[in-house]
Amino acid sequence: MTAAPPHGQREAPSDDPRVQLDQDAGVFEPVPPYPPRTEREAEFYTLGDGEMFINMGPQHPSTHGVLRIVLKLEGEVVVDLDPVLGYLHRGVEKLCENADYHHSIAYLDPLEYISSLFCEWPGVLAFEKLLDVQVPRRAEYIRVLSTELNRILSHSLFMGWMALDLGGLTPILWSFIERDEIAEMLAALTGQRLLYNYLRIGGVNGDINHEFMSRLGDWMSRATNQIENNLGLLNQNEIFVRRMRGLGKLDKETAFRMAVTGPNLRATGVPLDFRRAHPYSVFPELEFDIPTRDEGDCLARYLVRMDEIKQSLRIIDQCIHKMPDGPVMAKLPRLLRPRPGRAYAAVEGPRGQYAAYVVSDGTDQPFRMRIHDPSFVHLQSVGVLMPGHLIADAMAVMASLDPIMGGVDK
Amino acid sequence: MALSKKPGAGLGVGPDDATQTSSDATGNTPSALAVRTTAVSEPIVVSNTLWRSVDPNAYQGSLEPEITHLRELEASGAGRRDNARWSGPLEVIPTKADYVLDLIRANSLWPLLSGLACCAMEMMSSATSRNDMDRWGMFPFRASPRQADVLIVAGTLTTKMAGPLVRLWEQMPEPKWCVAMGDCTCSGGRYKRSYATVEGIDRVMPVDVYVPGCPPRPEGLIYGMMKLQQLVKDRRGHWPDRAIGPTVPADV
Repeated sequence: MTAAPPHGQREAPSDDPRVQLDQDAGVFEPVPPYPPRTEREAEFYTLGDGEMFINMGPQHPSTHGVLRIVLKLEGEVVVDLDPVLGYLHRGVEKLCENADYHHSIAYLDPLEYISSLFCEWPGVLAFEKLLDVQVPRRAEYIRVLSTELNRILSHSLFMGWMALDLGGLTPILWSFIERDEIAEMLAALTGQRLLYNYLRIGGVNGDINHEFMSRLGDWMSRATNQIENNLGLLNQNEIFVRRMRGLGKLDKETAFRMAVTGPNLRATGVPLDFRRAHPYSVFPELEFDIPTRDEGDCLARYLVRMDEIKQSLRIIDQCIHKMPDGPVMAKLPRLLRPRPGRAYAAVEGPRGQYAAYVVSDGTDQPFRMRIHDPSFVHLQSVGVLMPGHLIADAMAVMASLDPIMGGVDK
Repeated sequence: MALSKKPGAGLGVGPDDATQTSSDATGNTPSALAVRTTAVSEPIVVSNTLWRSVDPNAYQGSLEPEITHLRELEASGAGRRDNARWSGPLEVIPTKADYVLDLIRANSLWPLLSGLACCAMEMMSSATSRNDMDRWGMFPFRASPRQADVLIVAGTLTTKMAGPLVRLWEQMPEPKWCVAMGDCTCSGGRYKRSYATVEGIDRVMPVDVYVPGCPPRPEGLIYGMMKLQQLVKDRRGHWPDRAIGPTVPADV
């Protein structure tokens, strides 16, 4: 056993290329072991008077996954920060290029593991555009129904995590009751609790069954009451509201500049929703409002999401009543060879715009698969929002943006 | 009864043979990280510094091991672990004490809150309202590795995260156990063909219980933890040397 090699020198790697452990990643030194590569790095890793570095992560209970943030602190105030990404990089885009079109849906699933259906949807939509497939209307309604359930699942978990990062332990127990009920419901529909792999090119995997409908009816009859109950836990909590108000203010111009979408953008007063702005599926036939807030702070981001839960319940109600009879899958060959070309599709997810850009070269595998994920885009705005706040509030700011590391690192 | 060169030598009780450096000090690389040229499927054999046989001729007459890198490892003290067992004058009672202590440990497992990816959701679900793991003595999650007994690796382990995860494992005090949750941690799962993932965490750390599934249901994790309790009770009083690779007995 020898001491760690000096900076810049690496030991000879192991024979097995898959088991090379990054030694520098194992040693939690905030300052990287190489000279600064950019001007920004040189500026960040130079300590001013009275400043210090704190290394947060990659294993930290409130970073929503394996994110590492190097914080530059002056006393208790965050001056600057440097997020270090890639601790959950699984190479999804490359795997999709080596799988056929049906198979790559399974790789899209675990990107954002609390809203899996929204990760599948843009990929499936883009494949359908490439192939010119007409999706049966019943399948479209089932897609909307299941994804709106998934949106409620995601938002109700957000409520628990938001409170957890502020130090409240009870709401997460309440929100997991909601989450588990919806997860069981979707498990009856799709066969899986978390990574559904349900949407197919040209439809969905299976029709609605009796167990799903009875669970859904049972839940819908008390969902409104139950969610109101959960919201009463936080919305009328003075500690929570006073701490969240005015925290992490994002204005309209910065939000546009940072390409923020979804509830984070709607909390700044912009009623941009891709279900209305670029309608897809059967959303033109459905009635729902786009909740917005003008404040742009953490409380507004929280309240917009809670309002969206109620709109999702409205959409689910309409879906059940308007759903036509018919097949749930278009007739397609097993082996898909779309013509050479490119396609782009975007959907509105619980965090914002989920999109996929597919390039086909005429074979049965995508030539290139680019995945746009809102978590990654929103994470860049913590660099604007966090500085100036106390270190205890820094994680609350991050939680209000609701990033999921699986989507950030892909 | 085990004899030692001096009372308590190597057992982490005296001032001179306590762990020399704290495990997160600079330069103290985890032993599992440092062994690079060994094939990972083979167990890492660390020489025995904890006890000597009564028969002086047994085990090569307690000669220094011939293999050079083991001698270096022994000299550095990195292979030595404070394994939290009775020693010194209390060495008279270790068997029965460990027997009882392990019974207590089995019914109060404190897992570490270390969700890596998707499986973390089901891990949290098994700890919250509907499937309350607390009912079986699997206490809610600890945020610090210093307070944890069980490392539940929930989610895909990537090559970049492997170093920090091994360091977390090294920071946990003995006795400790590891549960691999999900297909990704058992064997690579759906990311087996990726360039960025470790195909099963048993390539980098010892594993006691494997819970397959992508992800396993919360009931699956609870069942795995109950198997771990059974394993702790079965191994009462004697702990096998840890090695990288499967360590689960055939009948568990």
